[in-house]
Parts: sequence; C-alpha cells; structure tokens
Amino acid sequence: MSDFGFHLAFWSLGAMTIGGASMILISRNLIHAVIWLVMSMLGVAGLYLTLSADFIAVVQVLIYVGAISVLMLFAIMLTPRAERDNSQNIKTAGPAGLVVLMVMIATMWVAIDTDWGAVREAALTEQARLIGESLIKHYILPFEIGAVLLTAALVGAIALARQDDEDAAIHAASLQAELEGEGAVDPVDVVDPPIAADASDSEASS
Amino acid sequence: MTIGIEHYLTLGALLFCIGFFIAWSKKNAIGVLIGVELMLNAVNLTLVAFSRFGSAEVALSTQVFVVFIIAVAAAEVAVGLALALVVYRNRQTISVDRTTLLRG
Repeated sequence: MSDFGFHLAFWSLGAMTIGGASMILISRNLIHAVIWLVMSMLGVAGLYLTLSADFIAVVQVLIYVGAISVLMLFAIMLTPRAERDNSQNIKTAGPAGLVVLMVMIATMWVAIDTDWGAVREAALTEQARLIGESLIKHYILPFEIGAVLLTAALVGAIALARQDDEDAAIHAASLQAELEGEGAVDPVDVVDPPIAADASDSEASS
Repeated sequence: MTIGIEHYLTLGALLFCIGFFIAWSKKNAIGVLIGVELMLNAVNLTLVAFSRFGSAEVALSTQVFVVFIIAVAAAEVAVGLALALVVYRNRQTISVDRTTLLRG
C-alpha cells in the first residue's frame, strides 16, 4: 500500500470513528445515536483492515453492524412509552467529565511516551485458518466455555423478555379495548367466540 | 511521518474515553449500553494494533482474544437489552435515574 493512501485511510477512518462516537454524545434522539454507533463501528472495521486483520474486520461488520445495532433498534422500538431522549444527566456529567479527562491524559501519555520497540514489517497471513485452528487446538477449553456462555445468555435473554401467557392475553385484551375506544374489559369477553357469534346473529335478524 | 502503533493506541484511548463518558452520563439504559460497546471496541482496536505491530508470538493470540471479546460482548448486549425490556414492562421507563427500587 502506498504511503499516501495509507495516511488517507487512517485519518479518514479515524475521523469517522471518533466523529461517530462524538455524535452519539451530542445527538438528542436515541435512534440517531444507534445510527451513529453503526458509523463508528464501520470506522473501526476499516481500521482493522488498515492493520491487515481482515478476519476480525469481517466479524466486526457481521456482529456489531449487523446484529447488535439491529438488536438495539428493536429494543428501542419495543419500549414505546419510554423517553426517547438521549440526554446526559447533569448531576453526573461534571464529575464524569473530570475523571474521563484524567483517564484520557494518562492513557494518551502512556501511548505516546512509551518506546514500543521495533515495528514488525510482516503481517499475519491466512488469519481465518490460523484462528480457526488455534480455537480448536490450543484454546479448546475457552472456546467451549464461550459456547456455553452464549447459549446460557441467549436462553436467559429469551426467558427474561418473554411474556407469560396470562400477561399476554390481558395485554392483548386491553389493547383491543383501547382500539375500540372502550374502557378496560375482562379478557374473557374478548376471547370468548360465542358472544361475538350471537351478536352478529342478532344484528342480522334485526 | 509514518503511521505507527502510537497513532492506533491514541485513537483507541480517545474512543475508550468517549465511551466511558457516554456510559457514565447517559440517562437512558440503552445509551449506557452503547457507551459500553464503544469501550469494548476501543479495547479491541488496541489489541489488534498490538497484534500487527507487536512481537510475532502474540500476533495470533491477540486476534483470538478479540474474537472472544466480541462473543462475550454479544452475550452482554442480549442480556442487557432483555433486562431493559423487563424493567420497561414493570415500570414504564428505562431511565437509569428513575429505576430506584433498590435505593436505601
């Protein structure tokens, strides 16, 4: 890769990443914040490519841009009456800003001031094969634990988010009542078919 | 001037600090989760930079570590958003300031 192209890629992708993250901080609408998060994640994926980590870049696009952002948008849509605003808490923003500023100065000092030694020129090649091999050879136990963790987390998420059948019936009934402009009704009235059939019969005869 | 490891580490530190501030100061629970995601991404970026520029022995293991971090982050987001849904169902809000049931 030519030097100029590499510079251009690094600075534009870095600006994309940091700009997206800053827009999350500024934007007032939560859905806009998720869209800016997607942009920031895409910038990070591009930075992985400039570091010649192509497998990680593809995984980043698949999981963060594809899955996690859609999950967040669904969570926002499923909480319709909650606040949409994405504003900061004024009471905690002050001390948070102070601590974050100190952390930023410390980490940047370490990053710039440390002598990181000689740069290795050759990048890793055939990463997908190497990562796959080491996952099932050297890292087999963490791999299995990760599989169990993902299964447990997803089953737990479904168990938490799932409504009970009773709750769902009452919820559907109250929603139906809201649509018809009536007050709260007993769910049995809505579910029971014979009453509705009788009503239509009586209407037809009269 | 060539782009070296310092540039990537500085970028990672900046991204981490923005994510830290978002996670600390946002009112909305989903906003807090977005901040945590940004912090995890900054750590991943730092690890991949070490994988590219560090010694040859750590080049592969850091990338495997990044894969594990992404898997754990996905599990964390799934459980966190399910918890936000449950809190919303019970209290009609997901503001972290107004869910004060455990406050003494």
